[in-house]
Amino acid sequence: MDTGLGKLVRAAVIVPALTLSFPAIADTWTATPDDGDIEFTGKQLGASFEGEFESFNADIVFSPDDLAGSKVVVVIDIASADSGNPERDTQMLTADWFDVEQWPTARFETKSFREIGPNQYETVADLTIRDVTREVVLPFRLEIDGNDADAEGTVVIKRSDFGVGQGEWSDTSQIGDEVTIRIDLEATRG
Amino acid sequence: MALRSTQTGFGPVTKGFHWVMAILIVLMFAIGWYMDLLPLGLEKLAWISRHKSIGILILFLAIMRIIWRISEQTPMPVSRNRWEIAVAKLAHLALYGVLIVMPLTGWLMSSAANFSVSVFGLFTLPDMVAPDPALFETLRTVHWALSWGIVGLVGLHVAAALKHHVINRDVTLRRMLPMVKGK
Repeated sequence: MDTGLGKLVRAAVIVPALTLSFPAIADTWTATPDDGDIEFTGKQLGASFEGEFESFNADIVFSPDDLAGSKVVVVIDIASADSGNPERDTQMLTADWFDVEQWPTARFETKSFREIGPNQYETVADLTIRDVTREVVLPFRLEIDGNDADAEGTVVIKRSDFGVGQGEWSDTSQIGDEVTIRIDLEATRG
Repeated sequence: MALRSTQTGFGPVTKGFHWVMAILIVLMFAIGWYMDLLPLGLEKLAWISRHKSIGILILFLAIMRIIWRISEQTPMPVSRNRWEIAVAKLAHLALYGVLIVMPLTGWLMSSAANFSVSVFGLFTLPDMVAPDPALFETLRTVHWALSWGIVGLVGLHVAAALKHHVINRDVTLRRMLPMVKGK
């Protein structure tokens, strides 16, 4: 029987034991751009367009049982952006936009996780684009099946918050301010 | 008021279609050139946006016009020259053709460029093809070549109308004018 006391005793024994042997029980996962997508949807002249970052690096330490010990850092290679339009892709890299020469990568680094429902989590993370770091909240769905995991979440950011679109491009009438970022990662344990 | 054309004269609906589209086509050509010359910037994007919107409006008007034309009778040609009648028929068919094909190549181009068409910001058209930079370049060339084809056709159309008016001194041009009653 699971009495309150029993639980307490068990916790008193197990938790320190685990802590001693493994500083964190969160697992390391590997996710590559081959099995995952970081997509973006922007608005141009009133019509949506989609693209994706073909190259990124994800360091994932995550366990539903140890959210406090979980951490995800994704570094995105800005120059790998593909929006299906070579002119736009080139334009995106210029000083007015991502200024890839100065800031070749964007960085997403989680600060905390919390469970919001079955297979549903939310992370508060620092997102750095150009020289601007802002806190974003990314809700995501996570399914773990053995050693495979699939995580998918969407966050809407404003390009103006990060200085993406300088000079006349800071006008958001032709190129919308809001950009939806969709992350869909397939990871394997280890 | 009789909206339909008669055996000898064009009705107000047909005249309306004709002149509104004539103005739009001239406007489209002007915008097309202007936007191409502009450096990449907000101004260029805004004009591209207008170009697309008006293009789709022309496509819509062309479809309505063709339906209208099929549903009513067309005035008899003024000319009695069979060769002239045949060429006029062909040129008119070609004009109807480009009114449909030209906007479609623009729409296709937009889709291939992953740059969907928003019509006056009211709604967005579905993409006809997946993004494809190579296809986009091909379509751009087709769109450009067609624009000169239209210049040729419209030139012929205007020259023929003026020839009838000035040389033959017949009603061909007059019966398409907005304020002239077809008899």
